[in-house]
Amino acid sequence: MENLFWFLTSFVALLFIIGLYALLATRNLLRILIGMEILTKGVTLLLIAAGFLAGRQNAMQPIVITMIVVEVVIIAVAAGIVIASYRNNKTISVRALRNLKG
Amino acid sequence: MITLYIALPLAVVLLLNLSPRRTANALSLWCGLVLTVFAGAYTLAMPHVPGLADAFDPANRVLQWKIEAGNLAGVMFLSIALVVFSAFWVGRYLIADSNRRFIFNNLLLLCMTGMNGIVLSNDLFTLYVFLEVVAASSFILIALERTNAGLEGAFKYVLLSAVATVLVLSSMALIFVLVGSLDYGTVKAVLTSGQLDAATSRFVTFAIGLFVVGLFIKGGMVPFHGWLPDAYSSAPTASSVLLGGIVTKAAGVFTLIQLAQNVFGWDKPSPVLLAVGTLSIAVGAFAALGQRNFKRMLAYSSISQIGYIIIGLGAANEVAVVGAILHLFNHSTFKTLLFVNSAAVEKQAGTVDMDKLGGLANKMPVTGFTSVLAMLSTAGVPPLSGFWSKLLIVLGVWLSGAHAVAVTAILLSVVTLAYFLSMQRRVFFGRLAPGLEGVKEAGGWLLVPEIVLAVITLGLGLTMPWFFNTFLVPLRSLWSL
Repeated sequence: MENLFWFLTSFVALLFIIGLYALLATRNLLRILIGMEILTKGVTLLLIAAGFLAGRQNAMQPIVITMIVVEVVIIAVAAGIVIASYRNNKTISVRALRNLKG
Repeated sequence: MITLYIALPLAVVLLLNLSPRRTANALSLWCGLVLTVFAGAYTLAMPHVPGLADAFDPANRVLQWKIEAGNLAGVMFLSIALVVFSAFWVGRYLIADSNRRFIFNNLLLLCMTGMNGIVLSNDLFTLYVFLEVVAASSFILIALERTNAGLEGAFKYVLLSAVATVLVLSSMALIFVLVGSLDYGTVKAVLTSGQLDAATSRFVTFAIGLFVVGLFIKGGMVPFHGWLPDAYSSAPTASSVLLGGIVTKAAGVFTLIQLAQNVFGWDKPSPVLLAVGTLSIAVGAFAALGQRNFKRMLAYSSISQIGYIIIGLGAANEVAVVGAILHLFNHSTFKTLLFVNSAAVEKQAGTVDMDKLGGLANKMPVTGFTSVLAMLSTAGVPPLSGFWSKLLIVLGVWLSGAHAVAVTAILLSVVTLAYFLSMQRRVFFGRLAPGLEGVKEAGGWLLVPEIVLAVITLGLGLTMPWFFNTFLVPLRSLWSL
């Protein structure tokens, strides 16, 4: 049981690192969205691990399911913004969205 | 029925979308206006509801709320209703396309649902869900016109909001490991039990730190403010009214106040909050000095004013926290008023670039006068409402021993006056700018929120000695539970 917990948390850490790298390294809007998704998947797994460690998986399950629903809504809106930006600029590079300053 | 605050706007959105499009287009505005007026009146009358009922003394029906979260909830319901009400009028005035206006009205109602939910939520996870409802509807509100600037502002907000969400949820997971529940009361009981060993309390500090940083991002506090000016200034002005007026306050600042009291149990002055607050005041004020865009200046001014609320919270004594809550309400009135004024200027003069404007006060007397009122209130000039809240905050911070912060806050208030005077000179006073000879006063759709908000700003300021006894003294014991 203890092993499973450490396995989960190290996997969470790995997902966080990959997600952050994806957010910071890429100039492609879609890849940024994927980075966001990987980060949120890391959090989902962290919540599951937390429920497991606290011995209250029952309480955690509805939370995780609700969270997945909410997160899908957010990513759908974000994808909509990327699509609108693509229609305006014919590109999915971050450069199209880097004009506001001051 | 306190759940009506959530259920009613949501039901209206559903019904509007189920009814035939043409009727719904016409109805959405009136439904929204009636709903917000109803919400405001309901809050002021505060009927007997579970949780608040015992708190409510029928003898003092006006603005005397129970000395618990109920008090704070009342203040928030009132501000939310007021700002959403104004945003409806501005949307009617600015958004010409009736289909787009229908979408806008629906999103306003959804956002109102989310904010009311934040106020009412009683466990951390519910709080997260409503935070995301507000965030999702504000993303769309910013990107509503599908201009490149709007999309950029929205995307930056999406990105930082996702980071904030990850931080908040991670913190929740850590708290869950320790407590086994996310209910406010249970978590507070464990966190403040005083029986945690050294390692556990470091763990708790780390978890709370993650949560607070997430809320700082949501509230646009320095150094996490990067998204806020872009989002506010690039959004359609009707959306800026809502965003600048209430969204960051509800999602970031109010949540912080409520959690500090109900969950983290902070009762000592917090150097971190004082530092972040002072930094926000300073950075916001100086950045506002250098702006040319009217809306962008207002966005920086928002950052600066939120800083005052945060130092009030950071001082953690009765006077300062009451001042912070009062400033929360005041800010939502005068900043909304300024955004409404910017909407009038944008529509009538065709630009919000302050270098191209000038001398509009004669052409737009109501807008000019109300903006002077709002600006003086923001800068804390007596006897307007902003003066009283800033006075209480500075007094409270001084009493808590952070003398340097109190003095800095007063000095930076002068900078607030400076950038607003510069704004007034460039937009409303001075010589009439070329090309603006034909400008007329804004239509009735904008005059209504302008006058309502100006009356509140002036009236609350003038009657403050009375409010002090009926409203602020009861709020006082919020902190010394």
